[in-house]
Amino acid sequence: MATEERTKEILKGLQDAVINFDEDKVRELCHAAINEGVDPYVATMDGLAAGMLEVGEMYNKKEYFVPEMLMCADALYAGLDILKPAIVASGRKAKVSGTVVIGVVEGDVHDIGKNLIKMMFDVAGWNVYDLGKDVPLEKFVEEQLKTGSDIVAMSAMMTTSMLGMPKAIEMIRAKNPKCRIMLGGAPINLDVAKKYGADGYAESAGTAVDEAMKLIEMLRKEEAAAE
Amino acid sequence: MKAELNSRERVLRLFRKEEIDRLPVFSGLGNITVTGLNKCGLRFVDIHADARKMAQAAATTFQVFGFECAVVPFDFGVEPEALGCEVNFYPQRDDVVYPTIKQHLAEHIEDLKVEVPADLARAGRIPVVAEAIRLLKKEVGKDIAVGAVILGPYTLAGQITNPGNMAKLAYKKPALVHKLLDILDEVEIETARIYREAGADYITIHEMAAGGDILSPSMFRTVVRPHLERIIAAVPSPRVLHICGDTDGITEQMAICGADAISVEQKNHLAESRKKVGPDVHIYGNIDTYSLMVKGKPEDVDSAVKQAIADGVNAVWPGCDLWPTATKENMEALVAATRKYGKL
Repeated sequence: MATEERTKEILKGLQDAVINFDEDKVRELCHAAINEGVDPYVATMDGLAAGMLEVGEMYNKKEYFVPEMLMCADALYAGLDILKPAIVASGRKAKVSGTVVIGVVEGDVHDIGKNLIKMMFDVAGWNVYDLGKDVPLEKFVEEQLKTGSDIVAMSAMMTTSMLGMPKAIEMIRAKNPKCRIMLGGAPINLDVAKKYGADGYAESAGTAVDEAMKLIEMLRKEEAAAE
Repeated sequence: MKAELNSRERVLRLFRKEEIDRLPVFSGLGNITVTGLNKCGLRFVDIHADARKMAQAAATTFQVFGFECAVVPFDFGVEPEALGCEVNFYPQRDDVVYPTIKQHLAEHIEDLKVEVPADLARAGRIPVVAEAIRLLKKEVGKDIAVGAVILGPYTLAGQITNPGNMAKLAYKKPALVHKLLDILDEVEIETARIYREAGADYITIHEMAAGGDILSPSMFRTVVRPHLERIIAAVPSPRVLHICGDTDGITEQMAICGADAISVEQKNHLAESRKKVGPDVHIYGNIDTYSLMVKGKPEDVDSAVKQAIADGVNAVWPGCDLWPTATKENMEALVAATRKYGKL
């Protein structure tokens, strides 16, 4: 078992390696974490994901831009490829996890933002059904019914494509009133999300999963109360 | 009091930096409205590939509201299509959905072989746009200036290949990105030439994918700017450089590119930008095309125009493609406010 100090060192190292988009360093430290008995779930959340949250902050502060953020994401995935099997093998379950259907709405082919949000769900151990980009509104409804997902997350990068969202929300609600709906993307803000009738709003990759967890906890409580 | 100019003369004199009676209200980007389309019974889906309908649609904003230009095309698929990309026009949708590219030519630049047609004037919809320009010149060309939009090379590259992969490559192996952009520069220079030959009075270079929300100012300088400078040097005046999003970090660089004017949206802090670039550089834009023009009230539009003029715009100009559901009342307010506050 790694000492507390060594664990801290590995976690900090993972954060830095993600921030510096150093894929080799991320791999090296993930192997070290596993070999030295650091909980792979902790390494994922407090190492990789924590690094990515910092990256999100750096984007907000205009220290990083899209190319840098995408390279950090590649570094995170390089680590996740190693840690995910170890988490499965450990039998460890994420604290709150669920199922999400995610995609970019029809008329929009910009999926960089969606992919970053998807990554955070992957990190948190969710089952992610990624419909890709330019997704017809009915497809969100179909996929939600097929998978019974807790959440549908829809993204739009252009003002021109976000206007289909209220229609999609209405359609999903008609089929499954319990499903929670999150919106995200450049032209969306909390106000728009509320007006459109969504349950949640993903301001950034960093906050998307927190927001989703809140929605799911509410959902579970309602279910428990109903039983 | 200065003699009142007609709209065309006002816009062309503005570009030449000659004396004008008041600021014009116009755009170099898409500016059709659903109000205008409905007036002549056009469906949004039908106006992108038919020269007659494209011209008819482009003229409506002038005809209905007195907006002082007509601009084509409306979507960003024209050059990608000419290079071999298939365009989705969403024929099944009755509402406003802009055409998009169905598939990139290649996901990675390393695998991308761009084959530029020997005669771009006959490739894809470029002849449709050119014909629409000719029709507009014939029908409204005496009254208003006719503009045409070309994509910036970085934006075009992001249409024909995966923009995420390209962004990473621009960081890791910029030489490969430059090699692609060199080819696309020539495509855009030739496209602009074809549009000018058809009669376009001015060209807007729409480099939306290179804004400050996407690339750092230093990457804009090393990766994007040399290509914009090259295109602008090769396209005769007047030409306008437009970039959407947060452009505060690159306003000076935009000005250096050499266009007759730069165009920015409302995220740009105009008064600051005016200080940065000095009094001589033309800045157009700053009018919010969705929150204000679609969701706002006429009195909001009035004060936004007043503010934009106070902050130093040289033309009242929507900060991006006008969102087609901009309300009739807001369009009227936009034109009226320019007449009210724009006197020189």
